[in-house]
Amino acid sequence: MTQPTKTLLERRYSMLGLLLIAPTVLVFCAVIVYPLVSAVYLSLFKIFTPTLEGSWVGLDNYRTLLAKGEFWTSLRNNLIWTVGTLSLQILFGVGMALVLHQNIWFRSLARSLILFPYFISTVVAVLVWKWLFNDLYGILNHLMMSAGLIAWPIDYLGSMPNAMISVILVGAWKYFPFVVIAVLARLQTIPEQLYEAARIDGAGPIARFFDVTLPQLRDVLVVIIMLRAIWDFKEFDLIFLLTGGGPVTSTQTLPLLVYKEAFALNQMGMASAYAVIMMLIMLVFMIVYIRRTRQEGS
Amino acid sequence: MKNQSQFGQSISRRGALKGLAATTAMASLPTSVLAQDTTIRWWSPQGAPAQVDAYMAQIAAFEAANPGVKVVFETTSDEGYAPQLAAAFSSGEVPDIVTHLPSFAIQSYYANGLVEPFNDVIEAIGADDYYDGANDVFKAADGNYVGTGIGNSAANMLWLRTDLMEEAGIAEAPRTWDELRAACQAMQKNGIFGAPLPYGRNSMTTLIFVGVIHQAGGQVFDTDLNVALDNQATRDALEFYASMRELCPPGATNYSWGEAITAFVSGATATGIYTGRVLGNVNAQNPPIADSVTCVRYPTKSEDIPAWTFNDFPSVFIPKQSRNIETAKAFAASLFNPDGYIQQLHAAPGHVLPVLKSINENPQYQANEIIQKYPEEVELMSQAAAGGFNLGYESAAHPSNEKAGEVVGSGAIADMVQRVVLNGENVDQVIGETTKTIEDIMAG
Repeated sequence: MTQPTKTLLERRYSMLGLLLIAPTVLVFCAVIVYPLVSAVYLSLFKIFTPTLEGSWVGLDNYRTLLAKGEFWTSLRNNLIWTVGTLSLQILFGVGMALVLHQNIWFRSLARSLILFPYFISTVVAVLVWKWLFNDLYGILNHLMMSAGLIAWPIDYLGSMPNAMISVILVGAWKYFPFVVIAVLARLQTIPEQLYEAARIDGAGPIARFFDVTLPQLRDVLVVIIMLRAIWDFKEFDLIFLLTGGGPVTSTQTLPLLVYKEAFALNQMGMASAYAVIMMLIMLVFMIVYIRRTRQEGS
Repeated sequence: MKNQSQFGQSISRRGALKGLAATTAMASLPTSVLAQDTTIRWWSPQGAPAQVDAYMAQIAAFEAANPGVKVVFETTSDEGYAPQLAAAFSSGEVPDIVTHLPSFAIQSYYANGLVEPFNDVIEAIGADDYYDGANDVFKAADGNYVGTGIGNSAANMLWLRTDLMEEAGIAEAPRTWDELRAACQAMQKNGIFGAPLPYGRNSMTTLIFVGVIHQAGGQVFDTDLNVALDNQATRDALEFYASMRELCPPGATNYSWGEAITAFVSGATATGIYTGRVLGNVNAQNPPIADSVTCVRYPTKSEDIPAWTFNDFPSVFIPKQSRNIETAKAFAASLFNPDGYIQQLHAAPGHVLPVLKSINENPQYQANEIIQKYPEEVELMSQAAAGGFNLGYESAAHPSNEKAGEVVGSGAIADMVQRVVLNGENVDQVIGETTKTIEDIMAG
């Protein structure tokens, strides 16, 4: 059976379609495919960063990194940081969104101000927090010493577990407004009748939250958790500027390890291998996210 | 039918678009191509406002003498220059001239073919005018000079408060670690800590602790550049450093250069460890203690061990990938013209010390208020820096260590300090693992 011949107009439409999609495909290849393939390719070489010259080592970089304690320590730190900061972001974010959903004074102003940490540059935020944490001049130590709570300043960023707790708290402060925005938007679309029905059934505020609000927020929370887990997992600047990964390697996450290999040790091949492993780990998050959004779509 | 543009009968839409495209293309051309101008980029981690003012004056003088040349100054940082330069070298978008980086960084770049030999610039400045041996640290294995010193620095001077010493009944500046510890203990009271030694995971901790190893009579590498950490001197150095922890502010676990100088200048610590920048900062930021400040070379484990001064030999060098090498060389030489050079040195008096004899003897240089107020301290720092060393050049018997920059960048020595002092890990095990890490770096 022969296929019907396309008319001239149909062929032109096909060509036009290809032409219109070509820029997107080109941009996609340039900014996604090329760096991805490059990273995998570089990870198979031993490369001196400043000259980008090197030699083929095959999978040696992967064998070396998997045998290194530093990789597993950094991965563990990465998971502690991600789970810790994400949990607090969700907790603070949902709580604040519930408050801002109420009829409170200066609600509009409060909704604007709450976004401040998210919009502020990370460098500026870190500088401010480093001053707050400062042992000699920081307001936190000053207030606590004035109140008689402590006799000596607390070392927030240079000892464990303080350093990890501080980094997690600053991360939660910086990124919880994202959760507020998303949850608040969803809260405003929950039908009021559901709450009325719950009240008629005798449900109090806590029961209404768990039986009405939370189920309604479930879908948006899943998306938020997936997105923020991916973003937090690859967080670099906030941790690097606050602690540099220290003390020792206690707050060193995988992105900091990639940076150290690439630019401090000038081992671009090894850094790429770490980056590829990171990508594989994040791929798990992405697959869950894609499956979730597909399910919602269907 | 031919479409006509609104501009007139004679211009078609296609013609107008062509004209617009041509104009856009012309506008996007670099101005240097149009005007035959040259722009050179200058990087330095020394970006204090007064220093930048001095650089601007030097730039203005060079631009006035060389019409068509524009110099753009860009700051980097002591902790950030290595990654920035690595990215610049790998992308080919390099600065044309880099100043104030430690000498060991350049040796590493030169060994990888990334730096232009500097012999002719040294000749243009006047090789005979340098202090004897001032350029030895910049000599590469092939006999070329990889750069030159733009100054000397004595980075681990022990700064003291004479008023607090007097209050504590301390008559003499400490000469040994035991005396230093006792002095710090006596002066640590009324909210003032004894010392601001760095325990952070950064280059300052590495560089200062290399000095402490030498002050214990040890060395990081032997004269064949084998790692030589696993000995009693390193253990003594770690023990001393750990014993000083209780005399430092709690946040010293995260201290780098900025925090260390601020702690002493603000009066929060009774002693300090830094270059001569302390003098300018104390006079500008805390004048009440300005008359009670002095410095000595950092104490050693015992009196029979000579003092060891860390001099990072702040440098000038030119990346080989620069597209304006000759202009950059001319500019590099101009940085040593007396008026501009003296203004640059005066921007941080005592911090960066002159490498040229004629400058040190120049009445204009000596006329500075700070240099006149602290003549003994400045002279002592000059002597100490002139006999100073760093990890890339640990002693006169050591060859240049091309991997020193990567050893510092790896943080292996700072990690060793943190593991022993902060985590209390087994010293033997930590020294063994640090040795292995550095050996791996040396093996490349």
